[in-house]
Amino acid sequence: MARVLVVEDDVQTAAEIAAALGDSGFDVDCAHTGREGLLKAGADTYEAIVLDRMLPGGVDGLAVLSTLRTVGVEAPVLILSALSAVDERVRGLRAGGDDYLTKPFEFLELTARIEVLVRRQAIPQRETMLRAGDLEIDLLTREVRRAGRLVELLPREYHLLEYLARQPNQVVTRTMLFEEVWGYHYEERTNVIDVHIGKLRRKLDEGGFPTLIHTVRNSGYVLRAAE
Amino acid sequence: MSSVRLSDLRRTTSFRLALMFLALFGTASLTLFGFLYWQTAGYLKSGTDEWLAREVTSLVAASPSQLIAHLQEHAAHDPEANRPFALFDAAGNKVAGNMAKLPTPSLPLDRPFEFKLNRGDELLPFRGLARRLPSGDIVIVSQNVHQMHEFRELLVGAMAWGGLLVLIMGLAGAAMIGAGSVRRIDEVACAIERIVKGNLAERLPTRGTAGDLDRLVDAVNGMLDDIERLMHEVKGVSDAVAHDLRTPLTRLLAGLERAGRRAASVDEYAAAVDEAIGETKAVLSTFGAMLRISEVEDGARRVGFKSLDLAAIAADVTEFYQPLAEVKDVSFSLKDESGGSAKIAGDPSLLFEAIGNLVDNAIKFTPSEGRVTVRVFCQDENPGVMVTDTGPGIPAEEREAVLRRFYRAERSRHTSGSGLGLSLVAAVARLHGLNLFIDDAKPGCSVILRREGASTWRTLAAAVT
Repeated sequence: MARVLVVEDDVQTAAEIAAALGDSGFDVDCAHTGREGLLKAGADTYEAIVLDRMLPGGVDGLAVLSTLRTVGVEAPVLILSALSAVDERVRGLRAGGDDYLTKPFEFLELTARIEVLVRRQAIPQRETMLRAGDLEIDLLTREVRRAGRLVELLPREYHLLEYLARQPNQVVTRTMLFEEVWGYHYEERTNVIDVHIGKLRRKLDEGGFPTLIHTVRNSGYVLRAAE
Repeated sequence: MSSVRLSDLRRTTSFRLALMFLALFGTASLTLFGFLYWQTAGYLKSGTDEWLAREVTSLVAASPSQLIAHLQEHAAHDPEANRPFALFDAAGNKVAGNMAKLPTPSLPLDRPFEFKLNRGDELLPFRGLARRLPSGDIVIVSQNVHQMHEFRELLVGAMAWGGLLVLIMGLAGAAMIGAGSVRRIDEVACAIERIVKGNLAERLPTRGTAGDLDRLVDAVNGMLDDIERLMHEVKGVSDAVAHDLRTPLTRLLAGLERAGRRAASVDEYAAAVDEAIGETKAVLSTFGAMLRISEVEDGARRVGFKSLDLAAIAADVTEFYQPLAEVKDVSFSLKDESGGSAKIAGDPSLLFEAIGNLVDNAIKFTPSEGRVTVRVFCQDENPGVMVTDTGPGIPAEEREAVLRRFYRAERSRHTSGSGLGLSLVAAVARLHGLNLFIDDAKPGCSVILRREGASTWRTLAAAVT
C-alpha cells in the first residue's frame, strides 16, 4: 500500500485529505507543522507528499520542500496553495514541487493527481508500447490499434489517449487533461474537453467495440478495458 | 487674511521659498553693488592719481626759476586752492605755491597719499603726491577729493536705502504669497476632510490656473473619480455576488434539508449528495472566477511575462474549440494575417483563457450554420486578435455594460455562464496593454483585442495603478 504524507496546518482539512486519500487506498500520515513534516518525511519513506504552501511556525511549505530536496528526499510533492498566481505556481514547481493545486479544490482532483504522481514512479519510462485490453499504442510510431485495426487520430487526440493510457484504471480530471495535453494552466470551466473526449471515444469504439474511456461523474475520465 | 496665523505662514512652502529667493536676490544685489562701488571708486582714484603724477613730472622737469614762476601762475589760477601746489625746501619751509605748510611731518615720497586741510571752518580731504628735487627741495601737488568722497557716500547711502526697500517689499510679498497658499491648502484640507467623512462625490477645489497645486489637485481628483467608480463597482459586485451566490446556496441548503427530512433510502441520500456537490461546484466556480479577475486586475502577474506569438495561442484556442463548433454546426476558422509578427509580452494561460472566452461566447451565441472567425493581425507593429461571429450581436448601448462583472445581456439570460467572462477578458487585456473593443459585424459581433500604438505604456501604467 502506497504511503502518503500530508503536511497541512489545519487539522480538519488534514483529516479530510487523509480520509479522501484513505478511501482511495493510500496509507496516510499527517503532520501539522513544517518542522513535524520535515522530521516525518526525513525519517520514513513516502510515495508522495501533500504539502501546504503556507504553514505557520516559521518553516513554510516552500522552505520544507527545498530542505527535503537538499537532503535527498525524492518523493513527488503536490503543493496545496491558496495563492493561484502563475508566478506562485512557477515558484512552487521550481522549488522542487511536482504538481500544484489551488484551494479550494475538489478531493477527487487531489486523489487523482496523487495517484498519477505515485504511479509515475512505478512505471518505467522506457516503455515503447502501451496496452489496455485490445488497445495498443505504439509510442514510437504513434500508431493506435484497436483489436488490430488502425485508428486514425489527430495529434491532439493521440496525446489525450496516450495520457489516459499511461494511467490505466485511474481517474484523470478534466483540469489534469487540459494542463497535460494543451499545456495551459487555468481552471477550464467549459465542456469542450468532454467534446474532445467524445470524438476520441467514437473513433476508438467504431465498429461496435465496448467503450474504453469511461466518464466518472463529477470528476473526469478513466481508461479501463473490459475484463 | 485674518484667518492666517503667523505660525502657519512660516511653515508654508511658498513663504519659505519667497524668503529664500529674497535672501538669494539680496546677496546677489549686494555683490553687484559692492562690485560697482569698488570699480567706480577705483576709477575715480586712479584718474586723480594719474593727473597728480603727470603734474608732478612736468614740474620736476622744469628749471628752478621756471618752477617758481609756474607755481605762482598756478596759484593765481586757483584762488580757492582746490588744487594746492607748493615747493618746500629741505627744512620744510615754503618756497612758493598756495599751500601754507607741509601737510604731514613725515611726508611719503613718490606715492599718492591723503591728508586733511582746513578750508574755512571745515576740514576737507586732499590727495597729493610729493617728489624730492636733486637740490633737496620737495615739490607737492594735490587735489581736493571732497567731491569724490561725497559721491562715494551717496552711492553707499543709495545702496542701503534701496536694499531696505527691497527687503520690505520682498517680505510683504512673501507674506502675501504664503497667506495665499495657506488659504489654498486650508480649502483643500477642508475638502479632503469632507471626503474622508464619506462624501465621495466631493472634489478638491481648483482655480483653473494650471499651476502646480492645480495639477496636483487635478491628479487627486482623477484618483477620487477612480475610487468612486471602484466603490460603485464593488457595491455592484457585492450585490451581484449576493444574488449569484445566494441562489445556489439556498438551493443547496433546501436540497440538503429535504434529504434530511424525507430521504429514506441510500439511493435518495446519494442523489441528494450529488445534487449538493453540483451546487457547491457552481458556487466554487463563480467564486474562483471572481478571485481570478481581482488577481488579474492587481497586475502582479506581469512578473511572469514572456515573449509570445499571439498567432500560436490563437491557433491553440482554435484547435481546442474546433470540436465544439462542429457539434453546434458552426463553421469556425483561424486567419493569421500577422505573418508571425504578432509578438507580445504576456502570460500564455491568461491569453488563452481570454481568447478562449471570446471564442466560447461567439460559438455559444452563433446559430447553427453560422460562422465564427478568429483573425490575428499586426498593424504598425501593434498586434491584435479579432473574434467575429454571425450571432445576434451586442446593441451599441449595452457594449460598455457587458464588460462589467456579472452583467448578462438580455439575450444571454437563458444561457449558462456566470456573467464574468467578458470582465475577465477585459482585465486580461488591460494587464497586457491591449484595448478591448466591441464592434458591429453586421450581422453579429466583433470583439477586438488590440494594442494601441504610443498609448501602450500609458495603458500599461494605468493598469498598474
